[in-house]
Amino acid sequence: MAASRGRRLLWQGRCWFSQTESAAPLPPPPDSLYPPIVASATAKSKAAKRRRLEHFNQQVHAAVSIEEKLRLYGKLQRPKYMVYPQTFALNADRWYRSFTKTVFVPGLPPRPAPAAARAPAAVAPEAAKAPEGAAPQAAKAPERATAAPAAAKTPEVAAGAGPYLDMGQLRSLACDALLQESFYQNKKRPFLYRDQDHTPGPFLTQLVSTLAAFLCGRNPLLAASSLDLKPEVNYYWHHGEEVVVHGHRKGRVDPVRFQIDDNPHLQIRVPKQLPEFVPLESDLGDVPVIDHKPSKLPLFKKQYENKVFIGSKVADPCCYGHTQFHLIPDKLKRERFVRANLEDQIEVVYRANGIASLFAWTAAQAMYQGFWSEADVTRPFVSQAVVTDGKYFAFFCYQLNTLALTAETIQNNSRKNICWGTDSKPLYDVVEDGSVKGFNDEVLLQLVRFLLNRPKEL
Amino acid sequence: QGVRQAQWLTKTKLVEGLPPSVLSIIDNPAHQLEDYEEGVKRAISHARFWDTTEVAPRREHYCPVLFEDLIHLCRLMAAKYPSLAKRMLARNYKVSATWERESILLQVRGLNGILMNSMAPIPPVAPKEEILATEEHVLETFYPISPTIDLQEVNVYKELSDTGKSSCFRDGYPYSHPHTLFFLESANVRTNRFRPEQLRAKMLMFAFGNALAKAKVLYGNDPKVLEQPIVVQSIGTDGQLFQFMVFQLNTTDLVSSDGIKNLVWIDSDQNLYEKAQCVPEVKKRVVTKPAGIYGFQPDTFKKFLALYLHGTV
Repeated sequence: MAASRGRRLLWQGRCWFSQTESAAPLPPPPDSLYPPIVASATAKSKAAKRRRLEHFNQQVHAAVSIEEKLRLYGKLQRPKYMVYPQTFALNADRWYRSFTKTVFVPGLPPRPAPAAARAPAAVAPEAAKAPEGAAPQAAKAPERATAAPAAAKTPEVAAGAGPYLDMGQLRSLACDALLQESFYQNKKRPFLYRDQDHTPGPFLTQLVSTLAAFLCGRNPLLAASSLDLKPEVNYYWHHGEEVVVHGHRKGRVDPVRFQIDDNPHLQIRVPKQLPEFVPLESDLGDVPVIDHKPSKLPLFKKQYENKVFIGSKVADPCCYGHTQFHLIPDKLKRERFVRANLEDQIEVVYRANGIASLFAWTAAQAMYQGFWSEADVTRPFVSQAVVTDGKYFAFFCYQLNTLALTAETIQNNSRKNICWGTDSKPLYDVVEDGSVKGFNDEVLLQLVRFLLNRPKEL
Repeated sequence: QGVRQAQWLTKTKLVEGLPPSVLSIIDNPAHQLEDYEEGVKRAISHARFWDTTEVAPRREHYCPVLFEDLIHLCRLMAAKYPSLAKRMLARNYKVSATWERESILLQVRGLNGILMNSMAPIPPVAPKEEILATEEHVLETFYPISPTIDLQEVNVYKELSDTGKSSCFRDGYPYSHPHTLFFLESANVRTNRFRPEQLRAKMLMFAFGNALAKAKVLYGNDPKVLEQPIVVQSIGTDGQLFQFMVFQLNTTDLVSSDGIKNLVWIDSDQNLYEKAQCVPEVKKRVVTKPAGIYGFQPDTFKKFLALYLHGTV
């Protein structure tokens, strides 16, 4: 009705001015006397919904500060699926990959050349001896001087006399931490089902803090880092669409909302971002497509505050993530899976934990920089994680290439997030009588390489 | 009675301020303690403002976080002093030590916070003359109040007196010398926290307990004057106020009240910052106090760091 009236008026107006048209060029038409004709904002129609969505997107785009943006992003509270990184669900890693549009690549990402040259060439080879835990470090010093890089894979070691990593000292640090927590310190018996807090938890804290302190001379990024104990990491996002099943909103099409609330055991945050592993638009595999509803995983819905948090507030200068350390709780011990004849699910636990936690962390970091699903990231966000149960260690690297996972934005989005991960390997075989038997240097070296990761300029 | 009572119980003479060896570390420009100001400010902001999704974290949250951040800063100095890597933190640490004091059997026991151990002991802080001079010092008594007032009387069945076998660490532990004890008063409610005076007394008793246990391990159970005095440091805080203490055990002969005494240097009530404003204070729609840290005192962190570095530089 309004449209036809407007058209008639225009025609009449044209009629009115038709005589003067030939005389002089028409002055620019005045701003129309009527407001622009747009769909209603409150009607129960698809056009109205589109208009509301656009209004919301505009509001978030125009937000003054990051805190304001996050507040507006998570303002509307509705029931959402709670995604737990540490879960007993079968094949949870496939589901999590589909929720977060992640490609899983087994193994670790290709190392950029200069760092790769330094790491293998820097390990002074050790004579084959069973590592004793409490051995003094005096004998290790001369070995540092006798440099014989046996594993110089890449020839472009332009670093020359680069600093050599003393494996012996690192090994003794790790063994000391392990022995202190498991053997030397007399503690009370562990509380029921709290074995992880008793020994592996303190061991991991000790190990990481001493290694970080030891390596901060090599890696100046660590010197400016911030170590968090048991921080909180949260992320909220939409992915896919569903029809509301029951309630007063029955029948409406809603985005599927997810929230991850994670509590890593330890986390290192740094002021500068880690370099990307592969370019932004790389395609390294396929994202699994799952036809079932997420609640079949099982995943349950709850409505509560939509939080986005990396471990500290936006004002913190250390706003990029470096490495997270996760401890597998007692409920998901290896023995339990073995008893239930589910050995293949052991690795699934580690993978699901790595994918979900790292996705939440990197995505929250990206949101802290102002990106969100309508404003996709312009540079990849990279973080690392180590998932362990005290003895077995699995390493994960994650590169966030896209945040656009909602139903509207995912259609034209060809980018995928990438997660690299290893299987879990034991760090040692057994601890008895004050010494560590079967210490695995590879795992320790991988951990050290993770800690030494830094941007190319440093 | 606080520190005075603790002094009598442990046969200690009090010296105000920190010992000269620690002060020399602070004054030594080679250590470049000023570079850490930025880091310390960041640590305080992190602990008091940024670490939580709530508006302002509570004391039981920010006190340990602040401590962890400060220790992380200190540990990063291991890049400059490699021997700092030979330290190990032991959390939830239990100690117990027994001694006799003028025919009263006393025991110090319990979970006492976090202990930092090192491979090498701290060298004695006081020269020999000062130790001998303590002989003339008379311990303050508070007649008619008995010195054991406010102490819990328990039946002791086992006189446990080690940091070794029965209590905490087994034999052969490489980091065998207690270096520093850390006490965090982090209860939310003020009445559950120790007042500064009581905190200092607690620090003194536990430092003494650790030193005594170490002495008994090294020199046996007979009471005597120690050739090589044992030094244990202790730092107590409630998230804002810091108490620093260096304790030197000169003698395990504690039955009598005369003779050589032990020494303790206390530097009390050091504020790291005056106030940490989480939300800007607004009076009548005007922001009177923007959010931030007020009254930052870098000296307190310098003392913290000096005590950490003591014994290795």
